[in-house]
Amino acid sequence: MKHLIYFFLIIILFSCKEKSYVHEVNEIDVAQNNADKNKEKTPEIFINIAYANLYQEALSANRLVDATEVVQSIGDKQVAYETLIAKMMVDPEVILPTNAEMRDDLETFVEDTYKRFFVRIPTEAEKTWWINYLESHPNLTAEHVFFSMATSNEYNFY
Amino acid sequence: MKRRQFIKKTALTSAAAIGVPYILPTGRLFATTNPPLANHVVFVLFAGGVRHQESIQQKYLAESQGVNSEGNIMYNMLDGAPPELKIVYGQDVPNGLEGAQPISPILQTSLESQGTLFPEVRFGGSTGHFGGLSSGVSGHYAFTQGLKNRPVHPTIFEYLRRFGGYKATDTWFIGNGIGNSTPLLNYSAHPDYGGKYGANFFAPNVTFGQQGHDFIEGFKTYHPEEELDPILEMRAFLNHNFMQTGGEIPNLNNTEEEKENIKAFIKETFAQKAAGQIAFPTVNDNGDLQTIGYATEVLKWFKPKVTVINMSAVDSCHENYTSYLRNLHRGDHGVGFLWNYIQNKIPEMAGNTALVVMPEHGRNLNSNGILDENDWFAYDHDSDPNSRRIFTLMAGPGIEAGLRVGTENNPIGDATDVTLTIAEILGIKDDVANAGLVNGGSMSLFDRI
Repeated sequence: MKHLIYFFLIIILFSCKEKSYVHEVNEIDVAQNNADKNKEKTPEIFINIAYANLYQEALSANRLVDATEVVQSIGDKQVAYETLIAKMMVDPEVILPTNAEMRDDLETFVEDTYKRFFVRIPTEAEKTWWINYLESHPNLTAEHVFFSMATSNEYNFY
Repeated sequence: MKRRQFIKKTALTSAAAIGVPYILPTGRLFATTNPPLANHVVFVLFAGGVRHQESIQQKYLAESQGVNSEGNIMYNMLDGAPPELKIVYGQDVPNGLEGAQPISPILQTSLESQGTLFPEVRFGGSTGHFGGLSSGVSGHYAFTQGLKNRPVHPTIFEYLRRFGGYKATDTWFIGNGIGNSTPLLNYSAHPDYGGKYGANFFAPNVTFGQQGHDFIEGFKTYHPEEELDPILEMRAFLNHNFMQTGGEIPNLNNTEEEKENIKAFIKETFAQKAAGQIAFPTVNDNGDLQTIGYATEVLKWFKPKVTVINMSAVDSCHENYTSYLRNLHRGDHGVGFLWNYIQNKIPEMAGNTALVVMPEHGRNLNSNGILDENDWFAYDHDSDPNSRRIFTLMAGPGIEAGLRVGTENNPIGDATDVTLTIAEILGIKDDVANAGLVNGGSMSLFDRI
């Protein structure tokens, strides 16, 4: 009887054995699509993010208040933002890729710039346009690209 | 081509070009309404809640403090001799009494004598600053809105741009600051009007003050062809790709040329400020007079069709009556300076500019009990009958000189009349009236004479 019980236990233990699988996925970057950006940045958010994008550090609370007041003091917000960003561009503290860094690998530059300003990956069509445009305009620098991005409509939304 | 044929064709082409009707933003040809009286209007919202007693009635200290001294401390705007006793509203005298030296008059002939005065205009809304300013620019009392909201009804700027076909830099609102939701007064939230017809706006004491110095002065100017054109192309590509989402940075439909012109103005104004060349009034020791100085720079640069300037320093009357008197006197100095500057320093506007001056509301008859350094009582504005008692003064082409319309027993004019009045001066009164969005009963002041 005892042997019979052992026999059944062994049968039970080995009868339902299933092969186990481990599933893995490739790592991909998850980024926002521009179609999802439908919230307008307030001047405070705009300035905060623009400063962080260009200086790679946060703007102090007091300076944020002052900068916001300047934007509020100018009626046309496009003019206000353009002058604000253009002022940042004369500051040597702004972190910009050198021309050589940009031109060495335009594809990477375009991807990095889209991630930096638009928090998304450019589409193939966008990437192609930018590479063609920058190749046909050898005098343009990262500053010009950054300025156009930071003053574009998409940058004003999140 | 034969010479005669060429001349004929050229003449015909020129005639056709001149005759081509201008299509307004409304889709209509020309403006159908009255011929304009002037090419430019400057409207001063004066100056933070003015009591009738110290302005039109020229009572100085007599009605408010029980001190026997009467007289006119607004002699650029109004006819009348200044007070002789207890002079505190002027400039400080070295080693003497504070405010004892009145500011010299700028205008040899007062604006009252040059134009038409409605001394007993009534304000029908709630006497808060934003409500008053909003009524002034929109011709409608702000019963259903609060601070931090744009006017519900279209502003004079929007009417002018929509019906008069003016470009954005033809219309300006110059604010004394960014408090009290002042930056929201350059266009309304009305769905058929709004930002695309809005006025440009500066709060110059901020734009060109310390904050402006820190954050925009010295901004980079990109080379028009080598840098700016490609930047605009790159941005156009980005904006086109974002068009499906539809959002854009709030703007006033300034063209790229207008935007660059505004930036050039900002740059030049900072340069002039650094060189001490801003056209400030002779005395410029308060924020209103600084605002007036920058406003004259805007007038000189853009020659706008309509400019609204907001002054507010007399609101110190809430806690300091002496300061109120000083600021009232300075407000008059600023208006005198402004008018004189237009007539003598801006040839394009001299002789064809109308000036309209109106307080956004009045102040209470009774004091709030707060005493200042002279033991004089302060006054609020709580919508009592006295705080609804204001005046409107206008001068310029087509405006009768030396005319007074209305009395205390026969008040004539409403605070919301200014919108239709400006519309009439600039030739679009019927359009504005037919839009049906100004206050019921509001009329052009010309129609009240």
